[in-house]
Amino acid sequence: MKRKDKRPQRDSSANDRNRERQQARPPARPAKSEKRGEGRAPAPNPARAEHKGPSNPKRKARRTGRNREHAAARPEAPRLHLPPSSFGPSSSVIDERTAAVEAGLGDTEIDSEEAFELGIGARVVPPTTQYGEAFDSAPPSTHERKGDVEAQIRALEARLDGLIRQRHFADATTETESDEPVSERRGALAKTDSSPPARLEAAEPPIEDFISRKWGRSALRSRAEEFDDFGLDPSFEQRVKPIVEFLYRSYFRTTAEGIDNVPAEGRCIVVANHSGALPLDGLMLRAALRIDHKQKRDLRWLAEDFVYYLPFAGVFMNRVGAVRACPENAERLLEKESIVGVFPEGVHGIKKLFQERYRLQRFGRGGYIRLCLRMRAPIVPCAIIGAEESSPLLYRLEGLTELLGLPYFPITPTFPFLGPAGLLPAPTKWRMRFGEPINLDNYGPEAADDHVLVGRLSERVRSSIQAMLDSGLRERRSVWFG
Amino acid sequence: MSNSLTSSHSLTLAEQGRLGAPPTRRRVVAVTGAAQFLGSNLIGLLEEDPNVRKVVCLDSEAPTTAGAKSRVYNVSLTEASAEERMAEILSAEAVDVMVHLAFLDSPSHSTAFAHELESVGTMHVLNACRRTKVHKVVMRSQTLLYGAHPTNPNYLSEKHPLRARRSEPFFADKIEAENEVLRFGRPGQGRIATVLRIAPMLGPTVDNFVTRYLSHRLTPTVLGFDPLWQFVHEADAVRALRLAALCDVPGVFNIVGDGVLPLRTVIKLAGRTTLPMPRSVASGFTTALWLTQFAEAPPAFFDYLQYICVADGALARKELGFEPLYTSREALIDYANAQHLRDVRLLSETPA
Repeated sequence: MKRKDKRPQRDSSANDRNRERQQARPPARPAKSEKRGEGRAPAPNPARAEHKGPSNPKRKARRTGRNREHAAARPEAPRLHLPPSSFGPSSSVIDERTAAVEAGLGDTEIDSEEAFELGIGARVVPPTTQYGEAFDSAPPSTHERKGDVEAQIRALEARLDGLIRQRHFADATTETESDEPVSERRGALAKTDSSPPARLEAAEPPIEDFISRKWGRSALRSRAEEFDDFGLDPSFEQRVKPIVEFLYRSYFRTTAEGIDNVPAEGRCIVVANHSGALPLDGLMLRAALRIDHKQKRDLRWLAEDFVYYLPFAGVFMNRVGAVRACPENAERLLEKESIVGVFPEGVHGIKKLFQERYRLQRFGRGGYIRLCLRMRAPIVPCAIIGAEESSPLLYRLEGLTELLGLPYFPITPTFPFLGPAGLLPAPTKWRMRFGEPINLDNYGPEAADDHVLVGRLSERVRSSIQAMLDSGLRERRSVWFG
Repeated sequence: MSNSLTSSHSLTLAEQGRLGAPPTRRRVVAVTGAAQFLGSNLIGLLEEDPNVRKVVCLDSEAPTTAGAKSRVYNVSLTEASAEERMAEILSAEAVDVMVHLAFLDSPSHSTAFAHELESVGTMHVLNACRRTKVHKVVMRSQTLLYGAHPTNPNYLSEKHPLRARRSEPFFADKIEAENEVLRFGRPGQGRIATVLRIAPMLGPTVDNFVTRYLSHRLTPTVLGFDPLWQFVHEADAVRALRLAALCDVPGVFNIVGDGVLPLRTVIKLAGRTTLPMPRSVASGFTTALWLTQFAEAPPAFFDYLQYICVADGALARKELGFEPLYTSREALIDYANAQHLRDVRLLSETPA
């Protein structure tokens, strides 16, 4: 749901269209209607005389509860007691389809008998006599809490039934046009029809009678769009994007050399050196592929475990694209043909002192090589020059590790003497060099179990990155201007 | 409507392929915990299933959904004679499949009773099955048993060890029961054991500690943590159980809805306000609330407010042919809609 849609609409006596929209969405923000009811006295409003709905929904609900079993059999059964889900999951659809509803689709009069015959939400069809015209002419008062909500629910039901009927007819017509005669079509959404199996599978999964009676129609299959599988929040990323771009372009003045070595499509592992008391290299690597790569590729980097123990840091890293470093996550990412950024030095990379800068630490047990062999992904080595000087680590206090949950407590020229501001990285000039992709396709997936081979390949990648670092450092004339 | 027509209607293609030709002898399914939420809904679903001949309902009260196919027996799993009585019933009714659902959905203060019911009760059920040649047991388990840890992968597969805190009886009893069931189904004995690890259920009618947690106006969270959560819709959970009862697929399966949501988004979508508390304050606070019976979950559940515990449903999709109808988000919205009606007292029905 978009942010905009969540904004409460204050004015219930606005024009009809506004009101329609509001009615269409009570489930999304019922807290508001509740509040509204409490804010003012829930006194009965004389202006509501036209509303012919039942005056006491509570009593009505109780009555329904008693003979719930038979409710499905009676088209004129009280509406209030229908399973809420019958307008539940679809309410999100309402938002998307408001335009369609306003185009008149939602205003179709629902003939309850016809709908019942069709088998569509037989319990959900509102009787036109009860509120059809009266409802349109007299806007529901905001003072009468129950009546208001009830009216909204009824309007919503009517609209949904219209939508579903429309949709069903659309489905039916397309299917009859294209395929064999459909004799058994019963018209119920809940029932699956005897159309060809392939079609059946492509459509939504059929629902059992009991399910459709109890929980209403099934949810329309739509993915939760706001968060991806690994916790990246696109809207949050959009918000921090200006900051990241500022850091990438203006602050570090990053140049990405040989970025075309990263394949334009398909899975790939970018292996880079890790550095800095405050590791920004993952974020910058992601920015580099987003900004400078031709295909604007999406890189997810693997972050060390300790980050996820920390409050705020773990959530922040997760929302901007870091994924916890473990083989399961990396495999899943590669299966989705995305690029995975790996820092095989791990914690040892970010806790090396200033005098050890640009000396690659050991590359763990070569888990990333095994990953490459198993997943048939090429490796792109990457040397990041300049990051080591941006937050140089002078000393690390190991004694505080247990207390803080950090692998070390950093002492930099500015931190902790300048307080949190001391964590700000120095504006050094960054250079990223991407090497030729290393293809391991000539080894089979079974090579992943060969420890000697994995160690050798890992060392090969490590030395190629070290060579790139060394040549880059030789060419560099200034830390600040490159 | 003829039976064959219904059968082709009520099963998805994947399910049909799994079931193969309709079995010559239709099944007799026994359900423990029949009056509980999952049990009663599963009975409602099986009542309509043409592949089921009879449903044997075992619980200390009668399920409301029991119909023409159902035989209701009053059995209490916490009694010492439970095994004897169960064995009698199972052999008298010639039960084929046992669906074992007698587990507590929410943590309870009476841990001794919970232990008798879940751990010892499972032993009674399995022994009764062994004595009467019931060849298949389906058990309901939970993805919560994986435990919330910062070192969890984003999607836990069925092979991942169960790392929930054993010090919390709610988890320990269920893990014990699950191990017993898997031992029952060890290969070479001609028996089938299917364990469904179901994600936290949400929906319009279900009532468990998650729905109660989300029903507070102010919902406590931990400052600086926002783990990803996942849900499964109650209807999907019931469908998965039916599928497991009718398809002979041994093994452990995660039953989850698609998609994940961060906890704060969950609370916002449910229309509540977050109450972030620092970790040091919150752990003492939740302990106090649990001891005074104001909180719905003991302090061990505090982990789930901080760290990820999300399971991967790919195996159930592939081998069991289970397709969830609702995503996590849709399940949540479905729950929230009903909860809001409950809040304004429009829905008088208490959740199951």
